[in-house]
Amino acid sequence: MSEELELLEGTAAIAKSAIAAGMTFFAGYPMSPFTGLLESLSAMMPEAGGVCINAESEIEGVNMTLGAGAAGARAGTGSCGQGIALMQEAIAEAALNETPFVVFNLARGASDYFQCTKGGGWNDYRTITLAPKSVHEAVEHTQLAFHLADKYRAPAIVYGDPLMARTTVGINIKKLDFGDLPQKDWALDGSMSGTGKSRQVWTWAMGKVTDPGPEMDAHWRYIAEKFNTIDGIEQRHEELWCDDADTIVVAWGTGALFAEKAVSELRKAGHKVGIFRPITLWPFPGPALERVAEGKRVLVFEANAGQCLEDVYQWVPRRRVTFIGRVSVDHTGMNFGDIMDAPVVRQLILEHLDNQAATAGANQ
Amino acid sequence: MADSTRNALPLAVTVSGIGGQGIQLLSKTLALAATKAGRHAMLAADYGGEMRGGPSSTSFVIDDKPVNALPILEETDAIVLSHHKFSERAVERLLPGGVCMVNSSIVDQSVIPTGARVIEVPAADLAKKLGSPQTSGLILAAAFNSLYGLVDHETLVDAMRDLIPPYRQQAIPKNIEAMAVGRDAVAGHDLAGAPA
Repeated sequence: MSEELELLEGTAAIAKSAIAAGMTFFAGYPMSPFTGLLESLSAMMPEAGGVCINAESEIEGVNMTLGAGAAGARAGTGSCGQGIALMQEAIAEAALNETPFVVFNLARGASDYFQCTKGGGWNDYRTITLAPKSVHEAVEHTQLAFHLADKYRAPAIVYGDPLMARTTVGINIKKLDFGDLPQKDWALDGSMSGTGKSRQVWTWAMGKVTDPGPEMDAHWRYIAEKFNTIDGIEQRHEELWCDDADTIVVAWGTGALFAEKAVSELRKAGHKVGIFRPITLWPFPGPALERVAEGKRVLVFEANAGQCLEDVYQWVPRRRVTFIGRVSVDHTGMNFGDIMDAPVVRQLILEHLDNQAATAGANQ
Repeated sequence: MADSTRNALPLAVTVSGIGGQGIQLLSKTLALAATKAGRHAMLAADYGGEMRGGPSSTSFVIDDKPVNALPILEETDAIVLSHHKFSERAVERLLPGGVCMVNSSIVDQSVIPTGARVIEVPAADLAKKLGSPQTSGLILAAAFNSLYGLVDHETLVDAMRDLIPPYRQQAIPKNIEAMAVGRDAVAGHDLAGAPA
């Protein structure tokens, strides 16, 4: 009947998907729960004809990846937010010198939203960030991230968490087709060696004496314009039960999975609640949220102090937005705390639905 | 047996114990065996940085269609307790009348929820008797599989073989013995009237 399934832990499934996407180079430094991805790739890459390096640190790892990407390979790196903090300079450089690669943030929680979407490097750049809600979606996003990175010559991030990393599912991983891509005729692949027309990948785009580049002003304007274009084209989101809803819960990543379960039960109990899930955290699907949330109350659920919340404020008037998330980490610091649980999420939403009903009653 | 299993799906289970008891291997063996038998499985692991003695638990769901479950289960049809430490959460979420399989050599009776269908398997003692105390997890896996008739015993053994890394191959013969002991330990139990 159905296709043959392979039982794979989240990190192994992502590794396999990256290889299916044609990733031939990976360098990273272990940090739990990202470590599982590095271990899986160390085991799988040699057989697939690729290279996986356990670098001396995250900084070496991301710079090796930048080099492989500049040479034209599909390349990846990764860590948790703590390690990706160290990679910010290289990610910004890659965005500015147009080197595609994928960064896997298999984070310890949901508190790297700012890091993923706003970045910590210098100059005008953004990072495309995909936030899957499950292992199955992470597998798809892995391949989409490589496609988008190559399409726009820019780094892209896949943002997962410990629940995703350590959940094992039966899955059948295939190469996904997202359409044709331009040839990498800019890649430093050695083919122009000795011709006097060697190529450059350079943040400052100054070129050579014999072959001047556009230089910074023109190059950085072009980069800024490119990110505007991506913003206009690549926003992705999911809406559930929004049409008849008077309250919309905004949630992303694994948090959205728990919010979905809670909201589906609240709807059975007669509450008119819907879900809006940003799939791309950058570009943030603001116009879609503005449309869906028009005239409605918006509750923002995330396991941090309120990061996606700031993007929601850009598109929904503050007086209609309530933050129902909070910081929630377990005693090891490596997992979510108690908030990531369907009964807790249901209660957080319900409290605000009740408040809203009480306020509406008082106003009559 | 196959028919009664079919009716029992989806089956949501939490396994709880401490690091070093083979909780993760026990659960992976069941999930892999179910996958080999053509079913769908989701298995979520929860453990900290400690290799031994810290909390170690899993939640898994087995179904005959794609599993749509959260990685942290709100309620379960069955629990397997290999240790009483850290077992509160698993116990709280067991559905009324659910199956509670306990490693009765170790688990303090006071944690067993009232109203549960208790299946006692003295897994630690049985494993010690075999001269291989580290097999208590696989004894529980085989007992659980046999109780629910999830897959053929041989499929379960194949799953174990696949999961043992190359540097632990010498453990396989004892594991196979232990799994036979686990299978036989629940002979005579049936699940009539249990949820799921």
